Amino acid sequence: MLKKKFFTLLFLVVIFTLQAQIKSGESLVFAGSYEMRGLMTNIAQVTMKTATMQTSKSSYLHLSLEMATFSKWDNYFKIRDIYESFVNPATLKPALYKRNIFEGGYTKSEKYTFGANGTVKSVSKRKNRAEVQNSFKIGPSTIDVVTLIYKLRATNFAAMKPGQTVALTLVFDEKQLPVSFKYIGKETVAAGNLGKKECYKLSVTANTNKLKGKDKNLIYLTADAKKIPTLIKFSIPVGVGQLTLTSATGI
Amino acid sequence: MTRLFIILSIVFAVFGLVFTILPMGTIALVPIALALTFAFIAILRQREKLFPKILLLIIFLNLLTVIGKEVFVKDVVEDDKQFESVKDQSEQEAQKELEELENL
Repeated sequence: MLKKKFFTLLFLVVIFTLQAQIKSGESLVFAGSYEMRGLMTNIAQVTMKTATMQTSKSSYLHLSLEMATFSKWDNYFKIRDIYESFVNPATLKPALYKRNIFEGGYTKSEKYTFGANGTVKSVSKRKNRAEVQNSFKIGPSTIDVVTLIYKLRATNFAAMKPGQTVALTLVFDEKQLPVSFKYIGKETVAAGNLGKKECYKLSVTANTNKLKGKDKNLIYLTADAKKIPTLIKFSIPVGVGQLTLTSATGI
Repeated sequence: MTRLFIILSIVFAVFGLVFTILPMGTIALVPIALALTFAFIAILRQREKLFPKILLLIIFLNLLTVIGKEVFVKDVVEDDKQFESVKDQSEQEAQKELEELENL
């Protein structure tokens, strides 16, 4: 009986925490820069937004991540990418994931609909190619790449010790990919209009050749209840870059 | 030897100019710094020649342009109506798709 009560309380705490942390109407703007000859050059703006999507029967949290090159780059390599996920606001379980990319003339659109029994139906279309429909199975806790960021923000890092990890599984390009986030410790970083903030420093590792180096792929989340991403450093085969928070509104 | 410094200065000045025109930000400062150094050495070696001085002036103006661009030109994303329409369309489609999912 006591055990049941404890779990009900725990469940409510988790639900309350998730709802409290991921608010609808949040907008986070980042400047994306890439290292060229040892100097960081601003390339694009990345915007993460949350909104409420109402249907006749349910309410969803619309999570979106947009990437657009700064106008000075548009004539050379224009990028207009949008990644969207429609999730249950309480559990952050995705129902629909959409990806629409335009990168220097190359286009690709992708859509996943998440079924109740772990079946994902996908529809993808690449430039000058026919539409491809597919169906595949995923694990019960597998989430899309956009939801992953928000799920990470719902993690209680205050109770973690340096070296401990959080393991999540994401689905990308119709493949499941386990990703782990190692909690390194706390560090104070610049957080745009929020000023300087003490942040949780996390190192990302995944079994992929797209991420290079040990502790070179880092995410900094403010060490408060909101856990706003302030700085994201990445090291990929073609170089290193970072996303720096410039503005956070509606938090 | 002075001719070599002048040639090197011209080569790096051209790189600096190209990087200034391209949206490379402060990267242009690397070839400009090298061009300035070589032009300065050339002047020290042949103080009476006019060309290295003109070259130094051109490189200096290029340096001012790069600094001016960094200080006064802000990074902005162009108002892209096509992208906005893609986003609106995607949202409308998503609403329909979610309704369909709920009715399965």
